[in-house]
Amino acid sequence: MISRIFSRAGWIALVVVLLVFGGFPIYWMASTALSANSELYSTGQVPWPQPGNLPQLLRDMADVPVLSWMANTLVVAVGTTVLSLLLGALAGYALSRFRFHGKGLIGFLLFMTQVVPEALIVVPLYAIFITLGLLNSLWGLVLANAAFSLPVATFIVKGAIDVIPYEIEEAAAVDNCPRMSVLTMILLPIIAPSLAAAAVMSFFSGWNEYLFAATFLMDKELWPASVGLASFIGQYETPMTAVMGTALLFSVPAIIFFLLIQRKIVAGISSGAVKG
Amino acid sequence: MTRHPRDHLAFRRLGRGFLPYAFMALPVVYLGIFMFWPLGRQIWLSLTRTRLTNPNNSTFVGMDNYERLFASGDFYSSLGITVIYSGVVVIVGVALGMISALALNRPFPGRSVVRAVLLFGWAVPNVASALIWLWIFNERSGVLNRIVTGLGLDRMSWLTSTDLALPSVLVVTIWQVAPFVMLVMLAALQSVPEEVQEAARVDGADRLNVFRHVTLPHVMPMLQLVSLLVTVWSIRRFDIIYLMTGGGPVGSTSTLIVRLRQIAFENYDLGLASAYGVIGLILALAVAAVHATFSRRRAKGAAQ
Repeated sequence: MISRIFSRAGWIALVVVLLVFGGFPIYWMASTALSANSELYSTGQVPWPQPGNLPQLLRDMADVPVLSWMANTLVVAVGTTVLSLLLGALAGYALSRFRFHGKGLIGFLLFMTQVVPEALIVVPLYAIFITLGLLNSLWGLVLANAAFSLPVATFIVKGAIDVIPYEIEEAAAVDNCPRMSVLTMILLPIIAPSLAAAAVMSFFSGWNEYLFAATFLMDKELWPASVGLASFIGQYETPMTAVMGTALLFSVPAIIFFLLIQRKIVAGISSGAVKG
Repeated sequence: MTRHPRDHLAFRRLGRGFLPYAFMALPVVYLGIFMFWPLGRQIWLSLTRTRLTNPNNSTFVGMDNYERLFASGDFYSSLGITVIYSGVVVIVGVALGMISALALNRPFPGRSVVRAVLLFGWAVPNVASALIWLWIFNERSGVLNRIVTGLGLDRMSWLTSTDLALPSVLVVTIWQVAPFVMLVMLAALQSVPEEVQEAARVDGADRLNVFRHVTLPHVMPMLQLVSLLVTVWSIRRFDIIYLMTGGGPVGSTSTLIVRLRQIAFENYDLGLASAYGVIGLILALAVAAVHATFSRRRAKGAAQ
């Protein structure tokens, strides 16, 4: 009986410790955003959020180009998603349903992209973008990002199509339905949940990306939120409340979407990666 | 390679010929241009002497950059830092993620809220994470030093002392990695058949034994896969370290990839920088190869 209580107490203590470690930084971000700037560096930060400072926070954030950063981030993330899904659906379908020369090699190369450090290809990509006129353009950024998220989308699509019985496509083939339509009209709707997972993963790799954006974009007007936020580091003109408010604004969509889609992501990882 | 049971069907045969190539053409061309050409180019650059200021003027020098690399102490220190960084991230991150998963694997009121809170570190974008933790670690006004001084100790230079910078960056990375491990392992734990665990318990096995002999073997494939992902991910990691410490102080957080960036953009020595990147790539590939060998052996063992 005593050992039982003890283990129960131990378990509660563990959950509390995990909660503090996992949640405190987010709490502190919100709490800092809603602090008075004068307190932060002098009397010390009040350890709880003070909603009364919200009007001041909004005034401080008005000096930061938050909206244009978010808009640029959105363009990059949506572009990365669309490109990854379009090409990933084609490649995933081919890898799942066909046998052809070089299939093994392509599978290996796709896997290999997940091992390549972004920093390793950034300089040659820079040279390519100069040649193609894609430097300092959000489209160039989309092309660079999708090179990493397309393989993930491909594996997720392949894993999802692998478990769909052939009979469905055979019926369509008997009716003389072209292969492309089999994919778009029959298979893709069936695997919609997996596609959603692939979309969210691509979206947030685009949303999150920093290195390419920091290297390829020169104009401040093109900065996504990641580069804009990073520009605060080591700079003291912007009040810390506005910095944390912006970071919060940049994080909240990601947090919400990850919470909504977590199960799908796990399913995608277990089906796509274990078998793929 | 598993042979598909319906290989003989006419429909399957329709799939031969040019059709698969038509489907693969766009993805392959795209990846060729934006992934594999730059990758090949960078590997080639590591065999040349090239300056970032004049990248079109390069001379082939063979293994020269690698000889310079192996002769410099900086390389061994950044290799060591990479191994320590990835090693600690995978061991502590996976252990903590697994412990969190076990703690959340029993139903209790508010479980989904707790799980949501634990996922924050994984969901927050890297640059935002860097900013939050920079503020927490802030030497003068950070909350951590307020706690430390409140306990009567001296302020610590979390990110600017050679002893503390790497551990501090590791805390942030583990904060980001553990939730991902937890999420995947929670799903794996919930797929362990209840009856088998029950049977073991009826046979008199205590909780630890049930875990060791029933639960753990069942979730092992997922645990291995997650460890692989986390290891590779931390070897290629760039932004968190770069944004928090820039690789400093005095190189104490310079992993191979951070060093690559410094050598390319501060010394303009593209050839040497590429060599650092290639070593990082080889390291990541080696980890993946070890994983592949293990999982193949396990698959074989399961088949017998």
